[in-house]
Amino acid sequence: MSQAWAIFKKEMRVYFVSPLAYVFLGVFLFLAGLFFYMGISMTGEASLRVMLGNLSVSLMFMLPLLTMRHFAEERRSGTFELMMTAPVPLWALLAGKWAASLALCLVLLAGTGIFPLVLAYYGDPDWGVIATSYLGLVLTCAAFVSAGLFSSSLTDEPVAAGLIGVILLLPFWLAGNAADMVDSPTLREGMRHLALLTHVEPFTRGVIDSAHVAWFVLFSFAFLFLTWRSVESRRWR
Amino acid sequence: MKQSTRRRLAYGSNATLVTVMVLGALVLLYVLADLYRVRWDLSEGASNTLAPETLEKLRLLDADGEKVTITAFTHQAGKEDTFFKDRAVRDLLREVGENSRVVEWRQVDFDRERLTAEKLGVREYGRIVIQRGSDRVDIRDREQFRRVGKGQDRRTEFVGEAALARGLAQLMTPSRRVLYVLTGHGELDPEEHGPNGLSELVADLDRERYDVETLDLLRTDREGELPTVPEDAAAVFVARPKAALSPNEEDALLAWIGRGGGVLFAVDAGVPAPALLDRLGVTVADGVALQPEMQVPYTDRPIPVLLPHPITNDLREDKLAVILAHPAPLVLADPVPTGLRATTLLRTTRGGWIELGGRLEGGMAVYEPGIDVQGPVDLAVAIEALPGRGLVRATKPAARIVVVGDGDAFTNALVADGPGNARFAVNAVHWLAREDRRLGVLGSVGRATEVRRLALTRPELGMVRAISLGLMPLVVVLVGAGVWLARRGR
Repeated sequence: MSQAWAIFKKEMRVYFVSPLAYVFLGVFLFLAGLFFYMGISMTGEASLRVMLGNLSVSLMFMLPLLTMRHFAEERRSGTFELMMTAPVPLWALLAGKWAASLALCLVLLAGTGIFPLVLAYYGDPDWGVIATSYLGLVLTCAAFVSAGLFSSSLTDEPVAAGLIGVILLLPFWLAGNAADMVDSPTLREGMRHLALLTHVEPFTRGVIDSAHVAWFVLFSFAFLFLTWRSVESRRWR
Repeated sequence: MKQSTRRRLAYGSNATLVTVMVLGALVLLYVLADLYRVRWDLSEGASNTLAPETLEKLRLLDADGEKVTITAFTHQAGKEDTFFKDRAVRDLLREVGENSRVVEWRQVDFDRERLTAEKLGVREYGRIVIQRGSDRVDIRDREQFRRVGKGQDRRTEFVGEAALARGLAQLMTPSRRVLYVLTGHGELDPEEHGPNGLSELVADLDRERYDVETLDLLRTDREGELPTVPEDAAAVFVARPKAALSPNEEDALLAWIGRGGGVLFAVDAGVPAPALLDRLGVTVADGVALQPEMQVPYTDRPIPVLLPHPITNDLREDKLAVILAHPAPLVLADPVPTGLRATTLLRTTRGGWIELGGRLEGGMAVYEPGIDVQGPVDLAVAIEALPGRGLVRATKPAARIVVVGDGDAFTNALVADGPGNARFAVNAVHWLAREDRRLGVLGSVGRATEVRRLALTRPELGMVRAISLGLMPLVVVLVGAGVWLARRGR
């Protein structure tokens, strides 16, 4: 556990001493602010549903850029071999990197904490809905960070890793819209299960459904497992 | 094959196999999680959780297995509350879809998908069309939303769940049925739109798929044949006759009861009650039933206690009051005649009495021992006449009869005033027509959800824009620049 913690601290340091985290946070907060403003000016409601719904889609494009350097950069700079020969188990490496990216996401989300306060000042928001919406976003971040880690493990080029990450996640966004165009009920149902928004949406209404929580947890686990296989394969490939 | 290649192949195959197995196990876990889901609704008032009545209707539809398609058309863009309205409908349908195997729904943009609108013959925004086989029920915007409050507090509330539940219940009745209202004795008029008419109740029954037609048992167009209650009758409504029924009419009603039919009798104080009520073990006593608890500001409108029965159960659950006006006291025979089963539906409170005259106090009648009769007093009863036990033929089902000591309770005036009057009347008709599974279909308006408005002036909105779009990102960028410069300086 201490090894995972050491990796976590090292990754957090890398984030916050470089301008990357701040640029990222600035862009993220601008987008969040834009969606928030759009939401309240469009609906006049004390609700974050518009903002949080749009943010979950934006994260799909942003988080792979946050995680792209994890393995790709290590390989490009030649520290990957060092890392693989260090007395750190692979799971600790993965857990540390994943937790660091997720922690940065939490910082991003904490930055949007001012918006519920604005709503509370000028209206009477439903705090249950706000709490579950944030829970949904945290789970979304966890899932996307896993996918981003996997894409980063596939290539030596951070930018390519970022792109692969976006391409990996896109079908999960499009599946929901595509499902409506499909005639076969079985296929349509299958695509709805695959779609990200199917699983995010209940959280934005104040509903916590174990099946949707399971989807995010299993999604994260699946990509972490794939990352583990991908990184480990470097040992025998 | 080289040893290194063989080794890679072995590792690769093993890794692929393990990966496929693990991914398969994860999919299986998700399927299980989807099958055995647990759900918490943390929204205020659990506004996303469907009412038990709606879930019951969905369960019945699932049991039937026939596909139900719900098409909801969007509201007019740019209008006040359009966003809220479309979202409220979408949220409701999403919940309905998640709770049923047979319901498929979609929300259609009325402006963009005109072809769908034309196909369904929809010409207005916000309509919901429910289809099941060849049956169809439409729910209009005004049935889904209502405006409440006054002045600045005026707001839109979504009450669509009750409307949808009603629509689903209507679909479960494959064809329309007929409630016959007896005529010829000065009864309440189903077509009358004034305060003393029944038009509001007729409209409610129409939504429940009952046609209301008049029934004349005095005349016949067939010589030598006595008039009878038509075979297609769901029930007969004897709506406060002001004159006594003829023996032939009473015989026709008794014959109908003998066939296991249902009759709703509404009687009033001071008008002759049908004689056949005696055979049903009900006497309409002299006087007026009163109680200390009246509808303000009236002195003769008691709000009776609802007693448990399929007709009243959902009213009791929803705490909906039924209001009567100047009701006649009913007395059940003790013991009830053989072959009958009687249940009191409405009764005065313990302080109720039968007013037979005497003095007034402040314009209000008061109980006077020695003159009045102490209560509580029955005001409405439900009777089942069991087959093969006298009134009903052995081969027929038990006949159902409801006697209400007040005709006014069904009129437009009291249907408007009494929160539970319409539902009581519709439930009574459902029970008489043996549509037990549809009892309570008017449904509670349920949890009405409303827009949680922000009280923002234009300058305040500008300030919010400045904070959210400018200030916050700027602070972060400045902190980042500071860190970067500090690192560079080292």
